[in-house]
Amino acid sequence: MNSSARPSARRITTLLGTVALALAATGCGGGTGAASAPDKVTSLTALDYYTDATEHAQWSKRLTDCGRTAGVKVEHTSVPAPSLLPKVLRQASSRTLPDLLMLDNPDLQQIASTGALTPLDRYRIDTTGFAEGILSAGTYRGKVYGLAPTVNTIALFYNKDMLAEAGVAVPRTWGELKSAAARLTRQGRYGIAVSANATPESTWQLLPFLWSNGGDEKHLDTPQAAQALRLWTDLVKSGSMSKSALNWTQADLHDQFAAGKTALMVNGPWRIPALNKDRDLHWGVAPLPVRQKGQRLVTPLGGEVWTVPQNSSPSRQEKAAQVLACLNGPTTMLASAKEHFTVPSRTAVAARYAEQVPSMSGFVTSVERARSRTVELGVKWPGTATAISTAIQSALTGEQTPQEALRRAQRTATGS
Amino acid sequence: MRGGPVRRGRRRGLLATVVGTVLLAVMLFPVYWMVNASLQPTGTTLRAGWFPSHPDFSGYATALRDQGPNLVTSLVVALGSVAFSLGLAAPASYALARFSLRGTSLVLFGVLITQMVPGIVVANALYSAYNDLGLLNSRLGLVLADSTAGVPFAVIILHSFMRGIPREIIEAARMDGAGRLRTFRAVVLPLSRNALITAALFTFLFTWSDFLFGLTLTTTEAVRPLTLGLYEYLGAHTTQWNAVMATAVLAAVPAAVLLVVAQRFLTADATSGALR
Amino acid sequence: MTGPSAAPRTRLRELLAPWLFVVPAAVYLLLFFGYPIVKNLGMSFQQYTTATFYTGAAPFVGLRNYAEILSSGLFSRALLTTVLFTAGSVAGQFVLGLALALFFRRSFPLGGLLRSLLLLPWLLPLVVSATTWKWMLDADDGVVNNALRALHLVPSGIPWLTGTSQALVSVTLVNIWVGIPFNTAILYSGLRNIPAQLYEAAELDGAGPVASFRHITWPLLRPAVSVVLVLGVVYTLKVLDIILVVTGGGPADATQTLATRSYELSFQRFEFGRGAAMGNVLIVLSLVLALVFLRADRRAAHA
Repeated sequence: MNSSARPSARRITTLLGTVALALAATGCGGGTGAASAPDKVTSLTALDYYTDATEHAQWSKRLTDCGRTAGVKVEHTSVPAPSLLPKVLRQASSRTLPDLLMLDNPDLQQIASTGALTPLDRYRIDTTGFAEGILSAGTYRGKVYGLAPTVNTIALFYNKDMLAEAGVAVPRTWGELKSAAARLTRQGRYGIAVSANATPESTWQLLPFLWSNGGDEKHLDTPQAAQALRLWTDLVKSGSMSKSALNWTQADLHDQFAAGKTALMVNGPWRIPALNKDRDLHWGVAPLPVRQKGQRLVTPLGGEVWTVPQNSSPSRQEKAAQVLACLNGPTTMLASAKEHFTVPSRTAVAARYAEQVPSMSGFVTSVERARSRTVELGVKWPGTATAISTAIQSALTGEQTPQEALRRAQRTATGS
Repeated sequence: MRGGPVRRGRRRGLLATVVGTVLLAVMLFPVYWMVNASLQPTGTTLRAGWFPSHPDFSGYATALRDQGPNLVTSLVVALGSVAFSLGLAAPASYALARFSLRGTSLVLFGVLITQMVPGIVVANALYSAYNDLGLLNSRLGLVLADSTAGVPFAVIILHSFMRGIPREIIEAARMDGAGRLRTFRAVVLPLSRNALITAALFTFLFTWSDFLFGLTLTTTEAVRPLTLGLYEYLGAHTTQWNAVMATAVLAAVPAAVLLVVAQRFLTADATSGALR
Repeated sequence: MTGPSAAPRTRLRELLAPWLFVVPAAVYLLLFFGYPIVKNLGMSFQQYTTATFYTGAAPFVGLRNYAEILSSGLFSRALLTTVLFTAGSVAGQFVLGLALALFFRRSFPLGGLLRSLLLLPWLLPLVVSATTWKWMLDADDGVVNNALRALHLVPSGIPWLTGTSQALVSVTLVNIWVGIPFNTAILYSGLRNIPAQLYEAAELDGAGPVASFRHITWPLLRPAVSVVLVLGVVYTLKVLDIILVVTGGGPADATQTLATRSYELSFQRFEFGRGAAMGNVLIVLSLVLALVFLRADRRAAHA
């Protein structure tokens, strides 16, 4: 090359060099964690999906209080629920996971299977006395990776005024539910509302019907499972349930219920603080109906587990574990259950709670028998959950009968 | 019939105003519905009638209290992205449009390809890079990331416009002894004002409405655009629709002012263009 | 007055200087798009799972991800939905956008203000406008059905979001609404660049509005039209948030496009390799459509 070309050429080479360098930098994402100072840990980071301002503030306070007992400050961040997992995976690949991570319990095994979490026995955390369902949801390959301070499940919320006006008792069986819903339906109001949308949320709402009737997520093509789905399609066909259920989230159900547009809804106790704010709304809550008297109600277990992700600093992990233990301690657990109307996950604490807050005693009994979604399928659960919600949608739109829809769901769930 | 045509012209103008208003009303009905929802007391969004009969401003109070800093972040990032995008795109577009460089069409097609890449693919890759470069939770980082929409778009718009600038004008400037850079600054840029404003407007809007990069490339609450702040009311368990809607309405106000101002410039340019 | 030795230097500078205008933008685009594209391509040939994110280990599986998604029965349906959604959206946005741009080209009182307000829908976060549409289109008491009932047009209302055939129409309508500001603004700015004298001359020659549209407006607007149509197709193909908020891809997969499918594979089923493959199929589709369009456009321009 001509010597006189050097200046410009060099400039370009430098530029290209920068490109290559930057590309290399992006390519080797991860590998090195933040330089760890083994001595003094003064602050920790925590990530969850409690974005709602009130809820976020309550958790911040709890984390701060528990941090104080461990002698650290806790920086608390919340991201929208649907974006939590994508965020966690990105952080896992660049080794920037927070010190304390909250996960929705059905996702725990998925994340634990990556190796990004640490087993809690390493920190000698006491895992005795927890309800079996939540402990199994927090366990992967025989080791406990996550603990939930409080748990929840879904139940039947009803509008007392509407039931009284229609002269309807709280339904205990599917037959009663169908006739109650029909009698509660009026112009501009439906008898019942469920969430049957195109996300795993609808699966979670169908599970209590499916499980209590003897259905099983491993074998979806059974008559028991089809009966459960048929209950929902019957409710839509008879006009007792809006077809809009196909598009409703559980938050939408709440809005419908609060607006007086449905007399019954399937929802969780985390709604109670908002329901209580509405003075004109007189509501009650009851266990979900079963198909026949004598069947045992089995509901899915809800709740978020806290975990300690891997990082390069054992002392940080130790501190994080102390905060986690504090969050799951009997006192904190009881206080947070009272604040969020959820159920303490230690059986003994739950019993005390049921005495102190009698309105929650129904939930306390349901939660004791609640079943974790991942107990049978483990990391394969997400595929099945999507398949079930597709089946719900196909059946409710009338594209397929409940049997056909579930048969196809079984094929997609096992086929992939 | 003294003054007839003038009066007819004015009447026609008024008719157009009426028709325009009706068209706009139809287009903006969803926006009205949002404002309506923002004025409902908490929890009664679904009972909303056609008009907020008892307007309740608590949604606005909440939004104003919480979202102030986020509004500033959004504005700074959006304006920064406009400056960065035009700064890169304008010279590049000029070169591609007027220098007859070899491989121009290839470069342009490459630019078009960038528009086909889903945002989430870019965001995922940027996260690890940003982490290594220390760009997470920074306004600069967001400006750079948000410009992934602005730069290619501005290149496409400006290139298509600059191809229309008569070669003679540029050659005349070069004859007068102006270098490439000066020709660009003194001749090409002023001529392209219309297109520059359009490109700036859209870059601003792309960034203003971004949610994905804001979400991906921040890990604390220090730097948070408005679109993300909205989620304070869209919780995992509860939803305050009036505050959500109020935030959206408040977010639209500064941006709308900017739009009106920018459009005014466009009009001025169009008149001068007609004289040319 | 250049000396003999300076001549090549000047020539070289002449040769390189133009590139300096392009290099910053090119470098930026290479950095911010090159790496993501390459990474996504690599991912699509691997069995990329959640664990891969942490361990980095992902077995190479060749074309298996592509074979699996392309042979799935869901693929052809999602492809059809994508094509219908894109064609409907782009056509609707373009026709309405052009009509509005033509209307607002005339100057009348408040015209400028009304025109700028037309862009307002774009200023609203998508999650908010999509949610508002979801309420408005509710079958039972959405404002749209209420109005239709009040006008006695459709006594029972239309299942906008819950009918398997109506839902696609609904998300397309919402997407058209979102896209109109973009189309109007670009086409309007294109119209502004057509010299007014041409119209005056045409009027003197006795050409009516239709004739002057056909012979002046349309040919001179071509560059702007190409831009909005190509970008319209490219942007619409990857629309994700609107569909996710309004219908979530339902009911019964009726609004499931390649983009939502890719998202579902990656972030609901955690099959990242397949999700990436689906994303690449989408990019290729986009590429093919753009090439076909650009070719047709060039031919039409030369004709």
